[in-house]
Amino acid sequence: MTLGDDRKGVGGRPQGEPSDARLLHDVAAGNRSALETLYRRHAPWLLLRLSRRCADEGVVEEVVQDTFLAVWRGAGRYAGRGQVGAWIWGIAIRRLVDRLRRQPRVLRAVRQAHEPSAEERVLYGVEHGDLGSALERLSPELRAVVQATILDGLTTREASALLGIPAGTVKTRMMRAKAQLRGELA
Amino acid sequence: MIWHADAEMLRAYARGELAWASAASLEAHVERCDRCTLAAGALVDRTTLDRAWARIDDELISKPGIVERGLRRLAVPDHLARLLSATPSLSVSWLLAVAIAFGFAVTAANAGGRGGLLVYITIAPLLPLAGVAVAYGPGVDPTYEIGLSAPLRSFRLLLLRSAAVLIATLAIAAVSSVFLPAGAGLVIWLIPSIAVTSTGLALGSRRPLVAAGAVAVAWILAAFVAEARSQDVLRIARLDAQVALAAVALVAVSALWRRWRAVEGD
Amino acid sequence: MSGAAIEIRDVEVRYGSKRAIAGVGAQVGVGVTGLLGPNGAGKTTLLRVLATVAGYDAGSIRILGFDPESGAERTEIRRKIGYMPQEPGFYQRFTAYDFVDYIAILKEMTDRGVRRGEVRRVLDAVGLGDVMGTRIRALSGGMRRRVALAQALLGSPPVLLLDEPSAGLDPELRLRFRDLISSLGEDRAVLLSTHHTEDVAALCRDVIVLHRGSILFQGSPASLAATARGRVWLSDTRPEAGAGLAWRTGDGKVRSIGARPSGAIAAEPTIEDAYLLMVGASGSEDAA
Repeated sequence: MTLGDDRKGVGGRPQGEPSDARLLHDVAAGNRSALETLYRRHAPWLLLRLSRRCADEGVVEEVVQDTFLAVWRGAGRYAGRGQVGAWIWGIAIRRLVDRLRRQPRVLRAVRQAHEPSAEERVLYGVEHGDLGSALERLSPELRAVVQATILDGLTTREASALLGIPAGTVKTRMMRAKAQLRGELA
Repeated sequence: MIWHADAEMLRAYARGELAWASAASLEAHVERCDRCTLAAGALVDRTTLDRAWARIDDELISKPGIVERGLRRLAVPDHLARLLSATPSLSVSWLLAVAIAFGFAVTAANAGGRGGLLVYITIAPLLPLAGVAVAYGPGVDPTYEIGLSAPLRSFRLLLLRSAAVLIATLAIAAVSSVFLPAGAGLVIWLIPSIAVTSTGLALGSRRPLVAAGAVAVAWILAAFVAEARSQDVLRIARLDAQVALAAVALVAVSALWRRWRAVEGD
Repeated sequence: MSGAAIEIRDVEVRYGSKRAIAGVGAQVGVGVTGLLGPNGAGKTTLLRVLATVAGYDAGSIRILGFDPESGAERTEIRRKIGYMPQEPGFYQRFTAYDFVDYIAILKEMTDRGVRRGEVRRVLDAVGLGDVMGTRIRALSGGMRRRVALAQALLGSPPVLLLDEPSAGLDPELRLRFRDLISSLGEDRAVLLSTHHTEDVAALCRDVIVLHRGSILFQGSPASLAATARGRVWLSDTRPEAGAGLAWRTGDGKVRSIGARPSGAIAAEPTIEDAYLLMVGASGSEDAA
């Protein structure tokens, strides 16, 4: 983690390069090389992020392709609210969910993050406060449900398709996660 | 406090080694941060990225029609599907028109008694013949001239397209024959269709439309004369007539086959 | 036979009693050769015969040593030529990529991967990389011409037959075509037909003048111009009628060819002068 001052600021894009919003506007007008520029910028992170939710590289690659085709077709629908990256992620995670829904056998289990060391727990406490370490203490199954519904913003049904568990199980795990967190933070 | 993910953290994330909360917080940051989004680009191998982009770009530049997509789904090889996709008589509108014509013929057969069935018998083989007459040729295909200067022999392309048109039209005929009155069935359109179409093709090397017209007239006459002389509307469906038609079909098909082989030898 | 890319000898093409091509002989080698002549001279007929699209009634033709009379050799010729017709036909609803892909299949490229690369290459070569995904019906006339040229480049054939490639193009596009064709001529035989003498002057290493089915000249553009030496004049006023062809030039003078008008001075002959002298009055309407 690098702390420090950055002249370009959080949004740092070098001078002269078109913004994401500009590129999307060009894509909506049918400009293929604008889509390629958008792809070169966002596809790598998209691949990495999707790989944390699905271990099958082939599926992940195909979802990325489907996502950018959807961007091509739906660029006009981007309303200008929020970051383009977030918009693209919204499309991608839903494509992944659809895919997993149709092919339930696809390998989802991703290598679990290692359990944090004592130092790391302290760091989380500093960075996220009690909530961060409380979240960390949830079991992997409960964490997965929290990530899918809260962080990725999926519905119960979408989360159930993504994780490969029944919708009822998603609900009970969410309740257990909330109960555990409330207990810890009270 | 402004911070950015350094390369080591991104690599750990990519390997799945970050603790969950760190990973979640990293994701939330990178999504908002152009610089870190770009930094992630260094971690993904170029070949993968290029390969995925090539597939995307392919989809953008090629817009096959519904018929071509359907053919590919039927396991027709790409290059054949494309050759067929430009056939006027394999278009949705043509096939729809054929279906309507069969619908009309079936209605006539059911409603019009003897005369109606004769209408069906006469029309059914003419529809694939018409389709084949406009499948390929100088007046019909805008790329005919360029096609002549290309190595693929135009006779082969004609036969390929005609076969596809014949199959498609016969499929529609098969569906329509389900609704025919009892006693009339497969035989009244299958062999006559093959005979009429293959004869039209075999005779049509110089002037396909003229040949098709001549064969059509000959067929109509044959059907009407057969009915008039025997007073039996299904005369053409009787065994001796079917055998005769099959013989005509055999002669025509073997002439086409020989020509196909001769052309291939070039 | 000296091994030139295209060799024709005493070739005749007849339509009924009319002779469209009358006993012509020529040799075309590597580089750009212009086929110059007015409309109706037989340029398209000759190109169609060389492209094996039309037949001929007498004489002999060899393209890269192959004889189009023989079926097997004719197919070999077709594998080695690229032909751009004067009025190419398109499938309007295909994209530019799909159309050239279709032609690539006609050229026996059945392997999808190979074809994909080749189609992209030729469309990029003619500058249509950005509009590959646009349907033909949405392309301008100049872009469609470029598509027609692109398909002729599939497979990098050693012989290119281009029928009026820059007809109807605006001047900027015409210049780009010239650059492209010029670079193509560096390592293959390009035979292009035109009735514009500027194309010949700018592009061609060799020029063949065709008029009413006969070849009036074959040689370098410079030697074509030289045939008009001593017969080109400049004066200040229009000469009296009957003294030959005359026209006003951009700088206010009057240029004339043929007999010397009174008071005129001799001018350095250009290809256009020589061409007009050769094809006479019937050529003048098209030489603009």
